[in-house]
Amino acid sequence: MADAVRTHGLFKRFGPQVAVGGVDLVVPKGSFAGLVGPNGAGKTTTLSMVTGLLRPDGGRIEIDGRDVWADPVAVKANIGVLPEGLRLFERLSGRELLMYGGQLRGIPLDEVVRRADELLRVMDLVEAQDKLVVDYSTGMRKKIGLAAALLHNPRVLFLDEPFEGVDPVSANTLTEVLRRYTASGSTVVFSSHVMDLVERLCDWVSVMNGGLVVAQGPIDEVRRGRSLNEAFLDLVGVRGNGEDGLSWLGAPA
Amino acid sequence: MTWLFVRLKLSLLRGGLRGDAGRQVGFAFSVAAAFLAAVAGFGLLSLIRLAPYGVAVDLVSAAFAMFAAGWIVVPLMAFGLDETLDPARLALFPLTTRQLATGMLAASAAGPWPLASLAALCGGVVALAHGVGGVLLGVPAVILQFAFCLTASRLVTTALSGALRSRRGRDLLAVAAIFGVLLVQVPNLLLNRGLSGDPTRILAAAGEVLRWTPPGLAAHAIADGGLIGVAELIVVAMSVVVVAWLWIAALRYALVRPDSSNRGGASVRRSPTGRFLPGGLLGAVVAKELKYARREPRARVNWISAVFVSAVFMFSLRGPAGAAGTWAAVGPVCLAAVVIGLQAANSFGIDGRSLWMNAVAFSTPRDLRTDLAGRHLAMAVVAVPLLALASLAAALAAGNAAWALVAAPTAWGVLGVAVGIGSITSVTVPYTYPERLNAFAGAAPGQGGQAFAASFVTMLVTGVLVLPIVLPVLLGSGWWAVLAVPYGLAAAWAGRRVAAKIGSARFPELLAAVSRPT
Ligand SMILES: Nc1ncnc2c1ncn2[C@@H]1O[C@H](COP(=O)(O)OP(=O)(O)OP(=O)(O)O)[C@@H](O)[C@H]1O
Ligand SMILES: [Mg+2]
Repeated sequence: MADAVRTHGLFKRFGPQVAVGGVDLVVPKGSFAGLVGPNGAGKTTTLSMVTGLLRPDGGRIEIDGRDVWADPVAVKANIGVLPEGLRLFERLSGRELLMYGGQLRGIPLDEVVRRADELLRVMDLVEAQDKLVVDYSTGMRKKIGLAAALLHNPRVLFLDEPFEGVDPVSANTLTEVLRRYTASGSTVVFSSHVMDLVERLCDWVSVMNGGLVVAQGPIDEVRRGRSLNEAFLDLVGVRGNGEDGLSWLGAPA
Repeated sequence: MTWLFVRLKLSLLRGGLRGDAGRQVGFAFSVAAAFLAAVAGFGLLSLIRLAPYGVAVDLVSAAFAMFAAGWIVVPLMAFGLDETLDPARLALFPLTTRQLATGMLAASAAGPWPLASLAALCGGVVALAHGVGGVLLGVPAVILQFAFCLTASRLVTTALSGALRSRRGRDLLAVAAIFGVLLVQVPNLLLNRGLSGDPTRILAAAGEVLRWTPPGLAAHAIADGGLIGVAELIVVAMSVVVVAWLWIAALRYALVRPDSSNRGGASVRRSPTGRFLPGGLLGAVVAKELKYARREPRARVNWISAVFVSAVFMFSLRGPAGAAGTWAAVGPVCLAAVVIGLQAANSFGIDGRSLWMNAVAFSTPRDLRTDLAGRHLAMAVVAVPLLALASLAAALAAGNAAWALVAAPTAWGVLGVAVGIGSITSVTVPYTYPERLNAFAGAAPGQGGQAFAASFVTMLVTGVLVLPIVLPVLLGSGWWAVLAVPYGLAAAWAGRRVAAKIGSARFPELLAAVSRPT
């Protein structure tokens, strides 16, 4: 059985800076996978390339055994994306955004309406459905973004920091939806800085550092008895603890 | 402090250009065009020296006034020439409004186009200065005239963008209409005065009107070169200060007011128009575009300035009544069609960072083609009736309502060609619209050259390609207009086909180009 996601030597540089330097990311089918790493590790860049939003400089990406860049027709219908930065069509209402997304994917209108209504209810957005997205709070944006990513029932879902800036109640809603979704055999890959959450949700984790995957596997193998947080700090190496310098900060002017 | 602003602008320019061939080519193109314009402007103005003294003064006054008018109108056309700093970015720094204003003024003077117009204005000194006094006064006169252009341009764009942003579409149209009518009266006035006769009379009349405006005073001061000239320059300097003061007031007002285009969480009506749209991708895009034209301030400003510039064309290009043929009705309306169509020269700009939604859904050129078709259809829904109205107005003004029947189809055809070409530039030289509406700034830092190239090339190619339909009509074969609409449709179709081929092969690059940080 092919893995849900598999990359070979994925490479991307921005000018002189290598953002992703040969990543071999593997995510088995049906897993709930976390992608963790310090700021600037290359998580966003990797996810952008995997979802066809950023052209890689080198390497291959397969989703369900098909090459993303060579065979986009087969791949794009089967993936859902929530990119970083919550960039949505700001001047549409939440409902209109879902309708637009659904029709973009070629789903018949009445089916889009049915699915949108259901998603809005589950995401607790019924009251806000006719407000413009520009007026949504961070949590509402994440929820409507996730709804838009789920609307066409993709096989693999890529989420870039879906839980950051989300209150516990909304986070609960999001995780419940995602749990149900993976239980049916679909795959979720998400990046996060919240180790507790990754530990709680994921059965598979990939740790990135400096543009490389430094550890990857079932979460218990990566943890090896430690908490994920400890394992993470060990893997990426603890950097300065912020005690030297800054003597002027907080001193009387 | 002022110097800091200039350096900030220069480093923004440099940073924006780094490591992107397209942007560098755009910038080089823009610099080359500015250089040519500077040389040509300087040369032409200098040549005025050969004219008799009185004529020369009037000519230079008129030229100076045209510079000022150009500085006001051109940024409205969103050519991306106006790549200035966004004052809202600087609002948090402890700067007085005055520091902010001088700094921003200096920053907007730094750039190929401002420098080109400064160089061209210097031609006025060559044309008019006699003796040492003339040259001595000429230098400050040119600098003051330049400062006047800059401040007037800033004032109008700041005030207008505030006004355009403030309320809903209906009110905006009213504002635009008032400004349009006011501005349009100026050339009208001049034309009507000089109607009866020869160019020298018109020129004299223009000179008389302009005599006491800042540009006219500056021109006179150079010609005079004595004490009167000094007095005139003081008046010009004072008017610059007044305009600058007004601008500061407008700026201060704009800075402390929130962007009131966000309607504070009110719900939108579920659109009933959806029923009339085709289903699927095409209908979805049309519906979205129409909503954006209403709700997105940048889209609104684009539409309104297109209407505004068209109105200026319609009135100022109106020839002497009676003497005209069909061209008097057809010409301005076709120009209006080009100006409206220019909005399609960067179709994906308004979507900007949200374009990824399309990118993850589209996998074939066919999808992109349908997307472009939807955008064009949405534009046509607004523009076709608008151009019909404009045709009627122009035909009535030209003295024969029947000419509207020729003008409207021709203009529709021109619009088709413009959007067809525009779809190709949309995928080849895409650029980011600034997130916030800063005056009428055209593009993200560093992309101004590209924005300029895109508009310019679209206009040029459109201008050439519409010749087969427009030329016969202008020459009097009105029946030729029946071919215009099929021609326009064919051009738009072909443009979309080519654009979809190119665009779907480089969609990630397209996405990156329209979602740059601003
Ligand atoms: N468009 C870009 N231009 C230049 N450099 C970039 C660009 N995008 C990312 N980078 C660089 O690539 C590296 C990886 O960035 P990326 O955004 O992938 O990190 P990340 O793991 O998502 O970080 P974070 O946890 O902060 O979101 C960073 O060093 C960043 O500076
Ligand atoms: Mg990131």
